Amino acid sequence: MIADEQTLARLMVASQKGDQQSYTVLLTEVQLWLERYFRRRCPPAQLDDLVQEVMMALHNKRAAYDPDRAFLPWLAAIARYRWVDHLRKVYRQAEDGLEDYDAPEDSDEEAVLARLSLERMFVHIPVKQSAVIEMVKIEGLSIREAAQRTGQSESAVKVNIHRGLKKLSAIVEKAE
Amino acid sequence: MNSERKRVSPNPLIEQMAADLQPVRSIRFRDGLILVTLAIIVTILGVDFIKGLWFNGLSGGASAFFVITNGLLLILGCASVSSALKMAAPRVGNSHDGPKWAMAMAAVLPLAAFVTLIGHDHGTSLLNDPYGLDCFVGGLWAAAATAGALVYWLRKGAPVSPNLAGLHVGVASTALGSVAYGLACPIDGVVHLGLWHVAPVVAGAIIGRYALPRLLRW
Repeated sequence: MIADEQTLARLMVASQKGDQQSYTVLLTEVQLWLERYFRRRCPPAQLDDLVQEVMMALHNKRAAYDPDRAFLPWLAAIARYRWVDHLRKVYRQAEDGLEDYDAPEDSDEEAVLARLSLERMFVHIPVKQSAVIEMVKIEGLSIREAAQRTGQSESAVKVNIHRGLKKLSAIVEKAE
Repeated sequence: MNSERKRVSPNPLIEQMAADLQPVRSIRFRDGLILVTLAIIVTILGVDFIKGLWFNGLSGGASAFFVITNGLLLILGCASVSSALKMAAPRVGNSHDGPKWAMAMAAVLPLAAFVTLIGHDHGTSLLNDPYGLDCFVGGLWAAAATAGALVYWLRKGAPVSPNLAGLHVGVASTALGSVAYGLACPIDGVVHLGLWHVAPVVAGAIIGRYALPRLLRW
């Protein structure tokens, strides 16, 4: 079980004061949390890179955590920001597809985190945009394959990916 | 679950980051507010030094439009400052909708100016305002210190919506800058205030939205 919000917040406050032991525990918990957070929205081969990228962001921006506010919504905002950034950079890597990856189910105790999830962001963009982002940027299909599967033209797929990513980056904090 | 924990424990990145750990001063909203308040005080002192404040207007000699315009711009500036400061410490669940309503409220000012122009027999003569451009440029200059403070604050933090953060910085700084410069402007007509004292905010919104995000990305 990953530590609860209060414990993580306490560890973060101690880390901001320079407590290395608390920081090690915090980062270990954060790594677990991020792996679960991203596993359905990132090909397994890219998961480690993305998790490490967010952990580096946490390290570099640790002063940006306000101890008066909750920790997980802060971490989720940074994770979403890096994820959208990551989607922009991803190119076709068919072998990294999610099709054969058997992602474990979320446990009930994480239901509270559902409102912070990446899925909640997709609710706020049109289906035609989320579908092609999912196919091309997450599953690793080519533009042509996504066009065939969705019935959209290739240029429409490109436009929908561009518009969808732009919209996602605008709702990093807002979508819950 | 235990297998997950065993797998992540020897991560060398964690060891390295823990070894590099230095104490940091965390970002707090009130610190940002103090910084922006200082920037506004410096701006008002600068306006007083260069132009001289219109003390007769400030002590009740100005028209109601003077109070309404500066009051609405002040509310807009405060709402945008609050959002911009909060964006340095992001969180899922922040909507930052307050400034949008304040912007809609402030949009009444140019609308009132246009209605006045349309309803006036010699409307175009009201547009012949030799001080208008001076107030526009002055309002933009007076935004510099607040904009600098907000950009500095956001760069210390972790804004995850740089476009929106840029927009809020632009609107906040120019709204407060226009109020600061407006304290030295003795022209208190609805057309002058509704057009030339609001125009810097429109320019600030455009500059903030399109020029500032590159300074705020991380």
